[in-house]
Amino acid sequence: MALDLLLPHAGLPSSRRRAFNHYPWHVAFLVVAVAALGVWNLASASRSAHAQIWISQVSWMGAGATLALAIGFVDYRRFMRGAYVFYALVLLLLVAVMLKGRVVMGARRWLTIGPVNLQPSELAKIAVTLALARWFHMDAGKRKDGYGIASLIVPVCITLAPALLILKQPDLGTALIVLAVGATMILFARVRWKALVVVGTVVAVGAFFAYPHLKPYQKKRVETFLDPEGDVLGAGYHATQSMIAVGSGQGRGKGWGQGTQTLLSFLPEQHTDFIFSVWAEEHGFLGCVLLLALYYALVASALGIAGNARDRFGHFLAVGVTGMLFWHAFINMGMVTGIVPVVGVTLPLMSYGGSSVIAVLMGIGLLTNVGMRRFVN
Amino acid sequence: MVGVSPPAAPGTGQKEFRPRTSWVTAAAALAFLVLVGRLYQLQILRGEEYKERADENFVKELRVPADRGFMLDRNRRLLVDSRPSYDVTLTPYFCGKQCDDILLQLSTLLSLSQEEMDRARDRLHAARGLERFRPFTVKVDIAREELDIIEANRVPGALSGADVIPAPHRNYRYGTWGSHLFGYMNEVGADELKKTNEEIEKRDDGQLPYQLGDYIGRRGLERRWESRLRGIDGRRRVVVDAKGNAKGGELEDLIPEDQRYEPSRPGQNLVLSLDWRLQEFAEKFFPGTAGSVLAMDAKTGFLLALVDRPSPDPNKLSGRITRAELQAIRNDPLRPELFRAIQEHYHPGSTFKVVTSIAALEEGVLKPGGTVFCPGHYTVGRHRWRCDKDSGHGTVDLEHALGASCDVFYYSLGDRLGTDRIAKWGALLGLGKPTGFDVGGEISGVMPDEAWHDKRIPGGYQHGMSLNVAIGQGDVNVTPMQQLVLYGALASGIVWRPQVVQRIEDPTGGAVQEFPPIERERLPIKKETRDQVLAGLRAAVNQPFGTAYWQRLKDIFIDGVPITMAGKTGTAQVVKLGAKRLKAAQVSYFERDHAWFAAFAPAEDPEIVVLVLNEHSGFGSSNAAPTASAVVKRYFELKRQDALERAGLPEAGPPLPPADAPKAAPPTPTPPPLDKTPVQRAADGEKRGA
Repeated sequence: MALDLLLPHAGLPSSRRRAFNHYPWHVAFLVVAVAALGVWNLASASRSAHAQIWISQVSWMGAGATLALAIGFVDYRRFMRGAYVFYALVLLLLVAVMLKGRVVMGARRWLTIGPVNLQPSELAKIAVTLALARWFHMDAGKRKDGYGIASLIVPVCITLAPALLILKQPDLGTALIVLAVGATMILFARVRWKALVVVGTVVAVGAFFAYPHLKPYQKKRVETFLDPEGDVLGAGYHATQSMIAVGSGQGRGKGWGQGTQTLLSFLPEQHTDFIFSVWAEEHGFLGCVLLLALYYALVASALGIAGNARDRFGHFLAVGVTGMLFWHAFINMGMVTGIVPVVGVTLPLMSYGGSSVIAVLMGIGLLTNVGMRRFVN
Repeated sequence: MVGVSPPAAPGTGQKEFRPRTSWVTAAAALAFLVLVGRLYQLQILRGEEYKERADENFVKELRVPADRGFMLDRNRRLLVDSRPSYDVTLTPYFCGKQCDDILLQLSTLLSLSQEEMDRARDRLHAARGLERFRPFTVKVDIAREELDIIEANRVPGALSGADVIPAPHRNYRYGTWGSHLFGYMNEVGADELKKTNEEIEKRDDGQLPYQLGDYIGRRGLERRWESRLRGIDGRRRVVVDAKGNAKGGELEDLIPEDQRYEPSRPGQNLVLSLDWRLQEFAEKFFPGTAGSVLAMDAKTGFLLALVDRPSPDPNKLSGRITRAELQAIRNDPLRPELFRAIQEHYHPGSTFKVVTSIAALEEGVLKPGGTVFCPGHYTVGRHRWRCDKDSGHGTVDLEHALGASCDVFYYSLGDRLGTDRIAKWGALLGLGKPTGFDVGGEISGVMPDEAWHDKRIPGGYQHGMSLNVAIGQGDVNVTPMQQLVLYGALASGIVWRPQVVQRIEDPTGGAVQEFPPIERERLPIKKETRDQVLAGLRAAVNQPFGTAYWQRLKDIFIDGVPITMAGKTGTAQVVKLGAKRLKAAQVSYFERDHAWFAAFAPAEDPEIVVLVLNEHSGFGSSNAAPTASAVVKRYFELKRQDALERAGLPEAGPPLPPADAPKAAPPTPTPPPLDKTPVQRAADGEKRGA
């Protein structure tokens, strides 16, 4: 994993000092702002559980921030060489999960190596981003007029391999994010219209034939999405309760710590995937708009970094990280408000959980790394 | 500086990517706007609705069951009330995946029967959707020790979803006594629930709809007055979390204080016209295995006693009854579920002779003082009808014929009247139609005319049938209640509607509704006719030739004047007689005759009418009349006792013979053990009656 990139010899003191002169402080500010709201919100959400989980969230965030800063010390271009190695390593870990992973709640997602509990699927997002960025970087200049289908076989495979392994765990949410990140990066590289149409058709037909092979609970989720109130107590319970929580927040919210849905545990997974409904219930439409504005500002700044990156690798790296942030945020909030089926996707910097926090902050580290080296040669 | 060489010159990408990033930024903005729009829809446009749903979410309404109204006798003695008891319920939603384990645990703790287990399992697995939030009963009316066991095992986390709820159960204090009149209670059925709730909605009188698992009155007064007895449940609103656990403390403030508790309103009480002292006496004195003893106030039509046998224990029917026990009741050849007084009809036998007498006098077929010679038989064409007395009664007039119950006299009247004219007077006297008794399920009996025979009998009507009808055989069928009303009409000149509910009271004792006597009509006969019939009825009890002479009242005086009783015995054939008369012991129980006795007293100014039907017991004079006589006697003793008490004097009369003081614990008179054959049981009854 990324730890080998932290060796002290990686990077020169002089260039390092210069690099931090251009540190994208606005991104750091947005991240800290969202993270602060996240901790504050968790403190409310955990009232019913009588567990001070926001404290452990703060420590995860500290660890993540340290990691992000550490990543900043190394010129991101150094990661290009390790990109494929890292990618291969993650694939190996995913296979290891499949063979020896720990089963939690019916899914095999965790791998125990010595004292560390690891969720390789979180790393997969970063690994795919790095690998695709490298591939598109090396591929530059060959495709002035956009990519056709045949030329996209490699990046598609880079995306699909981990996505399928993750789907197998099963972890539909993370698999979707990996696919979405990969697709975003590939689309960003400019794909020919004809190819898009063909791929679109293939995906549609493929989904049609793949549907019967989904796990029953996954199918149920799709059905529930189409008719959430159809099975209020069964599969639709999450969606319904979450919409009740969001809607009952009304304009200004019930106030911090006053959400009845939260307090009385009507919300499922209220610390993790459904944390946004806690926020929406207690802070209302105004609070939601504020949070959405912060996320949008973060995405927009990240895209700015992507546009200004000094090389193709930087472009794609920034786009990948942005895609990850965007899709996480959009799918999660869409799910909570009932416009996207229920899939296990966390809300960056708001959801409780070490893996999520570390993965997001690693991404932020890479992003700021690209941003601060936009002028460095 | 970096190991991997850049394939393109630095900065060249920016020109290519910047426009692209602008597009993507715009797309992201659009996506976030979609989210904002959705949030606007949920929180602003439909926020009010979701707020309500969120509030409903955590408010759990617990019912505070209302106390069901009591049933009291005329002296306000408590006959039916409710006793505190507990049911164990399970809520499928709250036990979730552990339901089966918890059910097994409960099974051990409460030693559930296989049947109770099966029923609970069925309910558990049948629960879908919202049903899963509804608790169902695992065991009704648990014992005190079981309550302690459950409470001891209710540590947090264990037995989740299982609840012990206070569920007052109906307490019929005297067991099977009067139970056909009272009825019983059990769980409301699914279809019935729908129907009943629709009716409640239509009535709109503040009654709450029933819920599955609620008890509802079955039969008798419980059913007839269900809406009055029931009361209105109160409710308690508590804050619960998603697992249904009640949350106290400051969370209670989520519900406004004035909405937390709504007290229940108890049901209304029924004050019955029964005098339970008389009822107790009759229950103990009446020797019959099956039959009825009815006593009515001749001046109002209100019932004073209503014995109806056999009957299942309503306490059992209202609570813990197993399928096997229920099946045993259903299969019992004595049909204990039948309310014989109004739901079964019998040949009236000789008690019907009053009707034939009235018909003959009113139609002019029998002149006042007219006589008939009885040689012991009567012949029409080639058929010969036998008299009750083989040697014959000689020349008899109406008084003697009625008193001695001469069949030939009535064969002769029947011969002359024909069936239609008898039927006409039978109908005028109230036979062949319900008496209008307040409890449902009353049948109308049969008062057949010629047309009826033509329609129902193969071969149609034949004149000889009128002879059978004249002595209350053939196809005449009456209910005990009809007989009571008929003799009450002879006694008082008024055809009463028999009633048993005198008053409905609110829980504080204030009258909600009073029931006045209801006169259906005046007896539509001439005074001379009635006088002659009454003379015959007096003769039956008070003349040495009378069939009930041995049951005449002795030693009962009002103001020094002896009280006389008037009445009529009846022995109704159940099967056609063979050539030779057989003794009771020689035929099987169900082939034996029914014994009737109808009486009233004092004969001059009747106050009480008594009717006794002793099924399959033989002669009316020996198996029905003694009970009636004893009940009448007891009535006057009680009357005297009450008068003395009112006057503030201690009991001064002679000690009361067989009526012992009421005991607190209800005795169990019937039903006999179920493993016996009907004949054995009947034989037992016979012995007791002897």
